[in-house]
Amino acid sequence: MNYKRLDEDDLTIIRSIIKEEERILYAEEINEEYSHDELSDTVSYPDVVVKVISTDEVSEIMKYAYENNIPVTPRGSGTGLVGASVSIEHGIMLDTSLMNRFLELDENNLTITVEPGVLLMELSAYVQDRDLFYPPDPGEKSATIGGNISTNAGGMRAVKYGVTRDYVRGLEVVLPDGKVVEFGGKVVKNSTGYAMKDLMVGSEGTLGIITKATLKLLPLPKKAISLLIPFPTLEKAIRTVPFIIKSKSIPTAIEFMQREVILDAEKYLGKKFPDNSADAYLLLKFDGNSTEEIEKDYANVAQICLEQGAIDILISDTNEREESIWKARGAFLEAIKGSTTYMDEVDVVVPRGSVNEMVEYIHGLYKEVDIRIKSFGHAGDGNLHAYILKDDLNQEEWEEKMKAAMDKIYGKARELSGQVSGEHGIGYAKKSYLMESMDPATVEIMRGIKRAFDPKNILNPHKVCQI
Amino acid sequence: MAKLIINQEKVGNIQELIRICPFGALEEKDNKLQINAACKMCKLCVKKGPQGAIEYIEETVETVDKENWKGIAVYVDHMDGVIHPVTYELIGKAKELAEKINHPVYAVMIGHGIGAQCEELLHYEVDKVYVYDREELERFKMEPYTRVFEDFVGKIKPTAILMGATTVGRQLAPRLAARLKTGLTADCTILDINENTDLVQIRPAFGGNIMAQILTPNHRPQMATVRYKVMNAPTRKDSAGGEIISCDIDSNELTSKVTVLDIIEKEKEQFIEASEVLVVAGRGIKKEEDLAMIKELADLLGGQIACTRPVMEAGWLEAKRQVGLSGRTVRPRLIITCGVSGSVQFTAGMNNSEQIIAINKDENAPIFKTAHYCLVGDLYDIIPDLISKIKESRSVSA
Amino acid sequence: MNILVCIKQVPDSNKVEVDPVTGVLKRNGVESKMNPYDLYAIETALRIKEKQGGSITALTMGPNQAAGIIREAFAMGVDYGVLISDRKFGGADVLATSYTISQGIMKSGEYDLILCGKQTTDGDTAQVGPEVAEWMGIPSLSNVSKIVELKEDSIIVEMDMTHEIEIAEIKYPCLLAVDKDIFIPRLPSYVKKQETKDREITVITLADLDDKEEKHYGLNGSPTQVQRIFPPEVNDHREVWNGDGSELTGRLLHKLKELKFA
Repeated sequence: MNYKRLDEDDLTIIRSIIKEEERILYAEEINEEYSHDELSDTVSYPDVVVKVISTDEVSEIMKYAYENNIPVTPRGSGTGLVGASVSIEHGIMLDTSLMNRFLELDENNLTITVEPGVLLMELSAYVQDRDLFYPPDPGEKSATIGGNISTNAGGMRAVKYGVTRDYVRGLEVVLPDGKVVEFGGKVVKNSTGYAMKDLMVGSEGTLGIITKATLKLLPLPKKAISLLIPFPTLEKAIRTVPFIIKSKSIPTAIEFMQREVILDAEKYLGKKFPDNSADAYLLLKFDGNSTEEIEKDYANVAQICLEQGAIDILISDTNEREESIWKARGAFLEAIKGSTTYMDEVDVVVPRGSVNEMVEYIHGLYKEVDIRIKSFGHAGDGNLHAYILKDDLNQEEWEEKMKAAMDKIYGKARELSGQVSGEHGIGYAKKSYLMESMDPATVEIMRGIKRAFDPKNILNPHKVCQI
Repeated sequence: MAKLIINQEKVGNIQELIRICPFGALEEKDNKLQINAACKMCKLCVKKGPQGAIEYIEETVETVDKENWKGIAVYVDHMDGVIHPVTYELIGKAKELAEKINHPVYAVMIGHGIGAQCEELLHYEVDKVYVYDREELERFKMEPYTRVFEDFVGKIKPTAILMGATTVGRQLAPRLAARLKTGLTADCTILDINENTDLVQIRPAFGGNIMAQILTPNHRPQMATVRYKVMNAPTRKDSAGGEIISCDIDSNELTSKVTVLDIIEKEKEQFIEASEVLVVAGRGIKKEEDLAMIKELADLLGGQIACTRPVMEAGWLEAKRQVGLSGRTVRPRLIITCGVSGSVQFTAGMNNSEQIIAINKDENAPIFKTAHYCLVGDLYDIIPDLISKIKESRSVSA
Repeated sequence: MNILVCIKQVPDSNKVEVDPVTGVLKRNGVESKMNPYDLYAIETALRIKEKQGGSITALTMGPNQAAGIIREAFAMGVDYGVLISDRKFGGADVLATSYTISQGIMKSGEYDLILCGKQTTDGDTAQVGPEVAEWMGIPSLSNVSKIVELKEDSIIVEMDMTHEIEIAEIKYPCLLAVDKDIFIPRLPSYVKKQETKDREITVITLADLDDKEEKHYGLNGSPTQVQRIFPPEVNDHREVWNGDGSELTGRLLHKLKELKFA
């Protein structure tokens, strides 16, 4: 690709747009963290980091970049897991984290309009203080809402409430040539032309830059209760999931976890989990407006679990109990990371009815490829996180075995009509798996869409699909 | 005797009145308003409800003759003869209170072989040091210590007793209060005294979300415990004043159903969550060896070293020392961040700390939005200098 | 082995606010729960019972709704429940509360061991346990961080005395106030909850107690009186210090001394 490498002259122009020197990082001023994201080993520095504060600035920068063929990579908190916010072709990195204002809470329409740099945890706290609820609940709470929209982040509450896309009503987007457009709006229904807003959600910064988002809110459920359900084996636990889904009471979350991951988390947090006597657990969460209402809801599910061989049903109904459980759940990724030298992850999603088959397959895979694999995940929505651990393998062995394991997992997911990514996205790291699993005709349409938005391919090049 | 009386005809809207009670102690039964056992006698229903709906009736109470109770006594908290510094802080406070009502200040020391310690107390403007020195009293034991203190109260009749809210004070004070059938206010943060010798005790409740002002109007002695580092210690006087009064008590009264089998040195807290003081190393630390000075400062302040995520990821410190969303949530009394920029990820894990001091070269560092004291400067200038200054000031006072 | 555990119902959240002008407590929801520190006492009792056998009784003082936390104790494995409840107990301070509880305990049965939590989350006094023991005339230990050995007529425990650990043997009957984290409390079990949903709870009122003198209970039996409540000062103080290294160090040292850390 023939991009212009950023030089001092370009920097002068950028300075004239941004005006405040401290919002521009150049050369050595660029922190190491801007060269990578949370997990992937994809490393590449931008030439300049620009901390934008307004749509106008984004538009001006894009206009200049477009005219001069300079690649641009948008970035929020940098908490992605697939290298989507790494500037492979260098150029300009647009850091949106200072665009973090709450613009409007519209209680008549139950929507909130925010800038993209608002953090997920700030958003949920802000609406919660007003008795409202933004349901998407990805594990990484310090991610920006812009980043969440760009990956169509999922999270724990997907079983009942769906994912980020289901809560995006409207977006203000700066196109690669600097034009500012609006997709969607505050309307509840919309049959007006192509679903541009939905196309933007999950586009990982390849089609446009989100500068404003209007999100749908729900009334805040007053109470949440979790059930921690010990089972004698992983198989028994995971085979219960389809029965729960079939029953008509819907938990907000259905997670599964194994004792070994719990032990890792105990070690990492230095705190015991309320129960670690069983081999495997299901963790269900229910919400509602009162303890009584929720108890009625879960009675049925509790019965099902007992019939399917659960050892007991443990109730978590206070803040302290919830924290002791969910804090450990939230620490799984870090705990597994801490238990090995290096790891890579798989974020496959399969139809919910097949989740037991997929889990059992991954669970037994270490025998075939002789590498340590740990998994936990959102059993209720079919989205599984498996972590392949390097331990003390040398680089060559690691690459070989990791590749073998990945190929097998993605292969199995395809066999079960699953998809490459449930919630982390494709970014840079998972591109080859996307290409392998997707119908070439569909890939061609995606490329066409990319060309329609970004004919010069300056926006986040090398991500998702390549022109 | 005091009670609440409901005048049903004046209640009006029952539900409205029920909502006034913060403790859920008002309820409706057979169309009538009732008070249940959850009542805390806060009297909000009297003040905020319809005029006359609920009345507070106080009957005459037996009163103590406050004239008979004189002096403010401080329990000398010690472990094997080593006086806990909270004692001096309490002596300072007792002095201040005593001056207002023109009472003497007493120190009460219970132990064995503690003559020198009692002499030392005379340098802090105590009027009298009452000392119970016996072999059986060598180490703190609840039953004999309670008995001895009871003996002291019976003989001297102090109007107020102050104790440190230490592991010892928190056991001895309630035991003694119940024995004397008097009031005890735990963990006071502010103490004052009225002319009539009523001790004004202010303490936090509901996890510090509200403060309550408490009196013990009809009982003597009045008892309060106070945490360490809340009051100010007076400076030691070169000259000694006051007198030491040796007290005796019969051995038969010093029996105990508790036997101390062993005392072992406690290992230092392993988890940063349990530490009162944290010194945090951030990205501003240039190399691994430099952590030594952060550690030294933490040791000098009696705290622990913690770190940010990049420092942990560099492998310089263990994951369990990392503060932040992906690490530990901490709430120490003091946190000093050194070269920490202050990402949201980090501050969300420490922003409830009591005192936050941040050192950073960059005056625009986000940590300064969270910190109470923002030092714009180079940690490499500040930390080594601070360490030597702390050491210097210690060697002077020692 | 007969074990009694003292538990208390507390507000679900400590997020109470006081109107700074009127001094009125603004309540935020009325949900309540078992005092989290009491869960450690229950867990300790269950562990002792697992080794030693016997029975566990949970006792609480409060309005009728407080029976809810006894049900919760049943779901954790506790055998019996006692609720001390009477309007005349309202407004009790530490002394009156501990007296009422000691009267209730003596009425409800005979126990070798009484366990309670370190403190409550609403009052935070940590004083009721030792006062109960004093009223009952039995020895007590606080800060119990470990059970070392269970003997025929005594128990050996470790106590966390801040800088050292004291190991002591205490004769039954006695009262122990256990530390947070002595054991990780188990979660209530749905299965046990179903099994015990009709289990009877003994209710004790003033009329049931040996000492029926109203003056000894509630507000009348309380030497301390709350005069007023008010919101705490919030620390939103912020100072920016500029200057050269030694100047900053000097100010910092001064501040550390003022805050009593150096």
